[in-house]
Amino acid sequence: MKKRNYRNMLGVMLTLFMMLPLTLGAKEVNLHGMLRSHAGASLLEGTLTKNEQTVDLSLEGWGDRTRILVNPYAYIGIGQEPELGIREAYIDVMFEHADVRIGKQAILWGQAEGAFITDIVSPRDLRSFILADFREIRKGIPAIKADFYAGGFSVEGIWVPQFVPSSLPPNDSLWMKEPSFVPDVPIQMNPAKMPSVSLKNSEVFGKIKYFGPVISWEVMGGYAWTDEAYVESITPGSPIQIDQSYGRHTVLGGSFSTSFGQTVLRGEAAIYLDKPFSVITPGAPAPSVSVENQHQVQALVGLDRAILGIEMSGQYILSYVHDHTDGMMEQGRKIKEFSHTMTFRLQETFLDDQLTAKFFAYVEMDPFNTLLRPSVSWSFEDGVSVEGGLELFIGDADGMFGRFQDNSMAYISLRWHF
Amino acid sequence: MKRIGFRLMASIFVMIMSLPLFAQISGAEVMRHVFERPTGEDMQATLNMTITNARGSARERSIMQFRQDSGTIEKKIMFFTAPADVRNTSFLSFSYSDGRSDDQWIYLPALGRVRRIASDKSNESFMGSDFTYDDMGARHPEEDNHTILREEVVDGWQCYVVESVPIVPNSEYAKTVSWVVKDEWIGLKKEFLATDGSVTRRLVIDAYEKADTVWVITDMTMTNLRKQTSTRIRMNEVSFNNNLRESFFSERQMQIGPRT
Repeated sequence: MKKRNYRNMLGVMLTLFMMLPLTLGAKEVNLHGMLRSHAGASLLEGTLTKNEQTVDLSLEGWGDRTRILVNPYAYIGIGQEPELGIREAYIDVMFEHADVRIGKQAILWGQAEGAFITDIVSPRDLRSFILADFREIRKGIPAIKADFYAGGFSVEGIWVPQFVPSSLPPNDSLWMKEPSFVPDVPIQMNPAKMPSVSLKNSEVFGKIKYFGPVISWEVMGGYAWTDEAYVESITPGSPIQIDQSYGRHTVLGGSFSTSFGQTVLRGEAAIYLDKPFSVITPGAPAPSVSVENQHQVQALVGLDRAILGIEMSGQYILSYVHDHTDGMMEQGRKIKEFSHTMTFRLQETFLDDQLTAKFFAYVEMDPFNTLLRPSVSWSFEDGVSVEGGLELFIGDADGMFGRFQDNSMAYISLRWHF
Repeated sequence: MKRIGFRLMASIFVMIMSLPLFAQISGAEVMRHVFERPTGEDMQATLNMTITNARGSARERSIMQFRQDSGTIEKKIMFFTAPADVRNTSFLSFSYSDGRSDDQWIYLPALGRVRRIASDKSNESFMGSDFTYDDMGARHPEEDNHTILREEVVDGWQCYVVESVPIVPNSEYAKTVSWVVKDEWIGLKKEFLATDGSVTRRLVIDAYEKADTVWVITDMTMTNLRKQTSTRIRMNEVSFNNNLRESFFSERQMQIGPRT
């Protein structure tokens, strides 16, 4: 573990060292960032479940037609090894009608808020389930991205030479919920084997986009790996050995946003063709597993509107699996043929924008379970704020959020931007 | 004698007919002149905003603003450069001369994407200041009924004092009174009044200049008399007709920042 941290630290230093000469040639160099202290306590037990200090820096250099950005970060928690890394490190080359970005980058697509439908280019950091800042959920990936512009239209192409999976919670994390196949028999989740680095194993994505006053839309496609592994085989024993794998699938989708009167209407949908799902059949001494490739559809419709100064947003998300069979699993949970999720967001500022109250809720309809996130932040000086809030997991223990009902917590964060 | 009498009568007739054209201008015409006052095809400026609360403590905001006016659509893009927690946030709006609702988008670096936003923020505070979003734009004269109350001299300029009452009742004020310089059509002062006639907010222009044949306000202060707060906006590096590309007012530019 320590060896890996030294390697990470060396990697960070090396990247910064290599990028430094590039910024020296830049006409304008900026260094800014954020320091954050974040602490969370379990509502059930009153114990401190998180106490983390974060340093997030952004070194940016501008030339006439070029820009470099390096975004190193460090998470330092009490009683845990510090984590150092580079979230993004890329070079932009800008032409009159085109941009090219090369390097490690986090890519965001789509119109959904808090949901990932066409936003599948960058894998996710799911180690904490909930992050202090949502921006940090997307991992940077090595990629070449090119954009071409013609009026309101643009075309974007992305090549990811090396697949990077999502990061999942470690086995000792309170966010790790291992499936239980046989009562009182432990299981051993073996890490999924990474595909070798080759042209054949690279990922490609593309989209056509229109940005306009009446409507903005985009149509996308991609040939990708599943960012989260599926169960490939189960070997009986104690512990039961679970082997996992990443699978290939094609994604086609699109999104739009428009407004009518004072209301914004957003929509997003994608079909994942021949996506691999594990199908678990109970048995002794261990269950058996088969892998089925099925089409999955995810669609979202959302409305945003401000009423009496309160920003309001609601989304409905539908998920459908074609030729669904019992025992089908995704990310360690049984999935249904149809599932329905809703999100709600309210936000209002008071006292000349110094006080902000927010409320965000995810609601899974069947089984009914929810995550409620009320919070209040106070900006007591320019660039300095303190935020306090609750993360309340409520409802059925088989649900996406209800399974974490023991993890409900209160938190406080202090942020200093510079 | 007969001819002289005819000429005299004709002259008196012409004078009588012409009199209203010279002596009378309506409140609506004054505000139409203000609305249509040349402001250049495009403009860019840096805005420094100082927000002072009732206790006297001040907060600073900095914005780079770019505007392009095609006659039918006014496009505006604002890049927030300070303080640090809002740096790189940008705001794009398209306003239409036919009175359609504005189209607005915001780019929040924390979210990493450009979002279309609902455009009914007109009466809300702009960045926690004493200005509203409505104050930051050009209000269409047909949204109010205008009446000239009197003429007054302000800062050495002869001004029309025009009362404007919103046609659609406004929750933030009952009416406004503006002091508009005759023939130059620049406003030097504006008061926002409540239904009981009390002044709730007062805008005072502290400095203005003519740049490239266009009048530009370079220093103004809005005071909220109820909350005892004030916001001063100073405009620096103002320039007009820079031939900004139409593509500058785009999603791409919102993410790149204020680099032309």
